[in-house]
Amino acid sequence: MKSKKISLVLALFVVVIALMGCGNKADKNSKSEGPGDAGNTEYKSEINVAVTAQPPTLDPSMTVSQVALNIAGNVFETLYTLNANYEPVPMLAESVEVSEDGKIYTFKLREGVKFHNGEEMTAEDVVASMNRWVTTSSRAKSLLTNAEFTVQDPTTVVLTLEKATSDVLIILATKAQFPAIMPADIVAAASAEGVNEYIGTGPFQFEEWKQDQYIHLVKNEEYQAVEAEASGLSGKKEAFVEDVYYHFVTDHSTRIAGIQTGQYDIAESIPLESYEQLNSSNDVKVHSYDGGALTAFYNTNEGLLSNVKIREAITTGLKMDEILLASFADADLFSLNPGYMNPNQTQWATNAGEGIYNAGDVEKAKQLLQDAGYNGEEVTLLTTKDYGEMYTATIVIQEQLRQMGVNVKVENFDFPTFLERKNDFAKWDIFVASTGYQLTPPQLLAVTPDWAGTKDPKITELLTAIRSAESPEVAQAKWDELQGYLYEYLPSSVIGHYKSLIASTNELEGFTVFEAPIIWNTKVIK
Amino acid sequence: MIIYILKRILSLIPVLFVVSIAIFFIIHLTPGDPAATILGIEATQEQIAELNEQMGLNLPLYQQYIQWVSGVLQGDFGQSYFMKESVTEAIWSHLGPTASLAILAEIVALVIAIPIGIFAAYRRGTMVDQSLMGVSLIGMAVPSFLLALLLMLFVGVYLQWLPVAGYKPLSKGLWEHFQYLILPAISLGAIQAALVARMTRASMLEVLDANFIKTARSKGVYEYKVVLKHALRNAFLPILTVIGQSFGTLVTGAVVVETIFNIPGLGQLIINSIVRRDFAVIQGVVLFVSLIYVTINLVIDLLYGIVDPRVRLERK
Repeated sequence: MKSKKISLVLALFVVVIALMGCGNKADKNSKSEGPGDAGNTEYKSEINVAVTAQPPTLDPSMTVSQVALNIAGNVFETLYTLNANYEPVPMLAESVEVSEDGKIYTFKLREGVKFHNGEEMTAEDVVASMNRWVTTSSRAKSLLTNAEFTVQDPTTVVLTLEKATSDVLIILATKAQFPAIMPADIVAAASAEGVNEYIGTGPFQFEEWKQDQYIHLVKNEEYQAVEAEASGLSGKKEAFVEDVYYHFVTDHSTRIAGIQTGQYDIAESIPLESYEQLNSSNDVKVHSYDGGALTAFYNTNEGLLSNVKIREAITTGLKMDEILLASFADADLFSLNPGYMNPNQTQWATNAGEGIYNAGDVEKAKQLLQDAGYNGEEVTLLTTKDYGEMYTATIVIQEQLRQMGVNVKVENFDFPTFLERKNDFAKWDIFVASTGYQLTPPQLLAVTPDWAGTKDPKITELLTAIRSAESPEVAQAKWDELQGYLYEYLPSSVIGHYKSLIASTNELEGFTVFEAPIIWNTKVIK
Repeated sequence: MIIYILKRILSLIPVLFVVSIAIFFIIHLTPGDPAATILGIEATQEQIAELNEQMGLNLPLYQQYIQWVSGVLQGDFGQSYFMKESVTEAIWSHLGPTASLAILAEIVALVIAIPIGIFAAYRRGTMVDQSLMGVSLIGMAVPSFLLALLLMLFVGVYLQWLPVAGYKPLSKGLWEHFQYLILPAISLGAIQAALVARMTRASMLEVLDANFIKTARSKGVYEYKVVLKHALRNAFLPILTVIGQSFGTLVTGAVVVETIFNIPGLGQLIINSIVRRDFAVIQGVVLFVSLIYVTINLVIDLLYGIVDPRVRLERK
């Protein structure tokens, strides 16, 4: 009797172990699937990318979601796009001519470009797509007010502007809410929530969206590549895999485990604390790229910080190096720089504001607070744990403010609640946000009145001057002046710049990262 | 019996009604709105207001509640704001993975727990009993997320025996389906196994002391028959309750495990919907899960009657 019981328990363990053994075989089988290219090296026919969340839509003009734009970038193309130096270069356009007064842009379109539905792209399609973008994209609405596209002939499109500005092509090439070219009938059928079909001209076409699981793209067999060398998002694109899967994997330890086992070829948004661990692994490569700026935004509308002297005192006391080290852990992953724009984008790099930036002078801060009449009022720091670096930076700032003698409290909410409270000026004094880079100063969130409430006539005036500058040098000088002014008026203060991380397996060939992993031109060794 | 069943079913209505009111108002009074979340961090207040209006979220709360409930009564749970499908479709498409996972986890739990429980009770007080109960204590104490991560690291990453995450439906093949569910099922089933094992042991102990067992033995009935037929059948009632409740917990409590192993089940759906403030989906899933929970309890109550006819008689 007893031995029967024991053997039952033993049998169970054997079953469990046998099941695990089967897993081994199956895993090996799955690695050998798919036909490869001819030659010495065999390549896989699919690529698996782990992204952090499911996007709300793949309609580029409707969203600022990075995940959505990264995926949509394979399906849709634009008239102009960015090369590796962040310069606008033609993609679906062949060339452009600008009128003398700078108000009329005449785009010659590339011929023979086909949409994924087999139809050839015409000027009608471009005009329909671009006019929709001008009215739906909040960015286009504010930067290209009343702009209009018209058909001149089947391969020529004309853009008419209200005012001449120097940054038209770069706005057309910007990634956030990018102006995707799609067939005119799909544009016409679009509702307020976006288009119903994803048909573009890109190297991959949309195949399937399995809610909460993955988006599946397949190779566009009829893709017409440009001849120019590949650079950034521009140049020759070739699809080397038949299938691309973007898996939605919210848990970062799962993304990391998946890249270590080869279940995913690429994993986005690797947390910075895993940098060391993955970097020392032989099977995994970590790619770091310009992430963005970490910025503290001050409430200039209401409460204690509406007093510029208090803002000045606080900024004087902040030690940005300490905040950055706590938030990004590894010195390779952040840099100290007062610039609001990407320091690697040479046109806009400036050190204006250096004096007060990272001064870390606590004694002076205390003195300035006293001079400004600070009397122990409570300062509310608003934050969310959903973004680790924003939360850590806030906690360090809280401690630094305490050392300056400020009475400070932290309010932490989940991201949707954070967004709601951010829009209510009665509820916060300071919040920290990590935001991706913008290509031109007028696109900066820090100068967008609707965002953190920055309203100042001098800022508006200098922004206008930048956009209407007759040469890049003049625009640059005006930006230098504006950044200097931002460090006097202090609606916000840059804390520093950070890198973002993407992990890939060692099996990728030709893989590049430009703001996001680039799937075209990438081969996956079997 | 039929009247008893009908009464029990009718008694579910007020429960579900209270659940519907509670969930609706809790969600709608929680800060953070779907429009802001859908539009993202760079949206302006004007855009947010516009989208809220389109989605009917600017109506007074009671009107929104009436709209929702009258829809539900007609079988319409509403439309997801975020996913391009109805709430019913979303629940159906996410139900399969959770059901598979819960059933597999329950099997894992029972296959481990019942033999262990019986064996420990039979060898009461010995080293074997103590060590088995010690292990089950650990099983109860280790949270499922920790076990999940340990299994993922050891079996998935180190040994590479099983995939670390993801899901394939049954239509892709039995093994394809199960290999993604084994680790999550073990992580989820372990804690239930510990509970059921302890319950089985306790329940068996009581019965093994009873006079009818002594009688059976003295009549020369085989020992295995005494334990499995006479004792287990009589000890089964409380075990059944624990199994039923544990199944409810498995369905509703798979949230963490589904997130870690990236299984597109109801748990993940509700977490994602809360993050997206997708009100219609949250309401639909909570109501649906409550329905499952009360139904399971009802079924357990009815099963009592089958296992132990005395229960049935009392309630007539």
